[in-house]
Amino acid sequence: MHRLHDLQRDFSRFVCQETQQLPLDIKANGLSVEQRLSIYRNNTRLGLTSALRDIYPVVNCLVGEAFFDWLAADYIKCYPLQTASLLTYGGHFAELIARFEAAQGLPYLADIARLEWLSHEAYHATDAQPLPLSKLARIDPTQYSQLAFRLHPSARFIASDYPIERIWASNQPDYQGQECIDLGAGGCRLLLYRPQWQVEIHYLATAEYQFLTLLGSGQALNQAVETVMSDHPDINIPLLLQQWLRKGLLTDFYLV
Amino acid sequence: MTLTQQQARHASVSSAIPACAGIGLRSQHHRDALVSPVRTGWLEVHSENYFGQGGIPLRDLEAIRADYPISLHGVGMSLGSTDELDRQHLGQLQDLIQRIEPGLVSEHLSWSSFGGRYMNDLLPIPYTEETLVHLVASISQVQDYLGRQILIENPSSYLEYGFSSYSESEFLNELARRSGCGILLDVNNVYVSCVNHGWNALDYLYEIAADKVGEIHLAGHTVKKVGEQTMLIDTHNAPVSDAVWQLYQAAIQHLGSRPTLIEWDADLPAWQVLVAEATTADTYLEQAYAQAA
Repeated sequence: MHRLHDLQRDFSRFVCQETQQLPLDIKANGLSVEQRLSIYRNNTRLGLTSALRDIYPVVNCLVGEAFFDWLAADYIKCYPLQTASLLTYGGHFAELIARFEAAQGLPYLADIARLEWLSHEAYHATDAQPLPLSKLARIDPTQYSQLAFRLHPSARFIASDYPIERIWASNQPDYQGQECIDLGAGGCRLLLYRPQWQVEIHYLATAEYQFLTLLGSGQALNQAVETVMSDHPDINIPLLLQQWLRKGLLTDFYLV
Repeated sequence: MTLTQQQARHASVSSAIPACAGIGLRSQHHRDALVSPVRTGWLEVHSENYFGQGGIPLRDLEAIRADYPISLHGVGMSLGSTDELDRQHLGQLQDLIQRIEPGLVSEHLSWSSFGGRYMNDLLPIPYTEETLVHLVASISQVQDYLGRQILIENPSSYLEYGFSSYSESEFLNELARRSGCGILLDVNNVYVSCVNHGWNALDYLYEIAADKVGEIHLAGHTVKKVGEQTMLIDTHNAPVSDAVWQLYQAAIQHLGSRPTLIEWDADLPAWQVLVAEATTADTYLEQAYAQAA
């Protein structure tokens, strides 16, 4: 195994651009060994860059292909691919953008990347059916204090200081509008989930965002209500529950 | 969905891959596969593209499976790597197999990871006794885990190792003999590697043990100038070249009729273009059959 092991160690270091040193015993056969190995190095770089571009089309649109390639090259170096499946690759892109010096001019870019990653996760999340109201009606009222809800497995929350949903929407391929987005217009709180097949993005009010994220974190209903009511006494909890039950965000309940 | 429901759903179409032409299906053509009256014999997908938990990709694939036999082609098992096999990857593949009931399951003669880091490419292995022993062990482990035979595809390669002691075709035959795997003969890869290394393509072809070959792949490649030399790159972004069609005719004369896949992964054309390529393969298969009869 030694020879195969050492070969793969040296080969992978070259492909991942950690060294210019060449693995031993590769035939030149009319080209330089480096030219031959570079074909594999390019394939890897291009493959991973294109996988990132597929997940982050709006980031790509906002910064342009060349700048995106630069971001991707840095990402590939800092976050090597750790599984063969590309579906889970790219989850730290927002972190990289947030500390990428040349991207500081677009302060909302990291949040756009976060939004695109959550949308990607929601797209591939487990399917789930809405919680039937009849099932809820069968709960013993004495157990209401222990009641907690399961949100749809695709549900993701994001809050930003920037109008990221409008930036995102105006950079979709089918966008027809000519909206001028005011970056100072304030932030937003969003829920992403996939009630059936398409990922939906919903704006949430501050109280609603707090309430749903608490439910999503597994907190019991009455505890979540208590917390939200103390900050937002006007919140209409029964209406919110009805609404999100109907929209299939709540898919199950359990007793804590 | 329970297993019984799935079986009932798939019952209308057999899982067996017929010895005719099929198409490598990418997500852009899911809808065509579902509704187009222009059909092909069978479909093959990249297993890893369906490793998600749910949503449209799996919904579509299950619906398509009700109409077509499907083959699962893996690109990420990294069988030739000295790393341990990734059990999670194997588990995900097994789940997909149970869901889709594929007629064939295949992987590559290559490695793509070292020390837990993946390179998203099919990297070449040296053809030595050491590698052979290692690959026989990995392939046996996969076949035992999945409870079925897998096919192993010859790679297209851009370099050779000075210490290889087998030719690629001898190595594949020996691998199939020792591990019980089958061979997926990619005729474009044979052509690409032979041009890149100065091997004789017909010698390669005739050396392959015909009874081990369970499937054939065809694809387009790109001609690239590297330094003074012409290199063929396996880009899957073009029609099958004339030279590869010629080699394919020689292949089916030698092997007999085999399920033959048209692969096209980048710069995808319309579904009808893929079906037309598959029809060409079917015509050659019929000619070879008529000549043999």
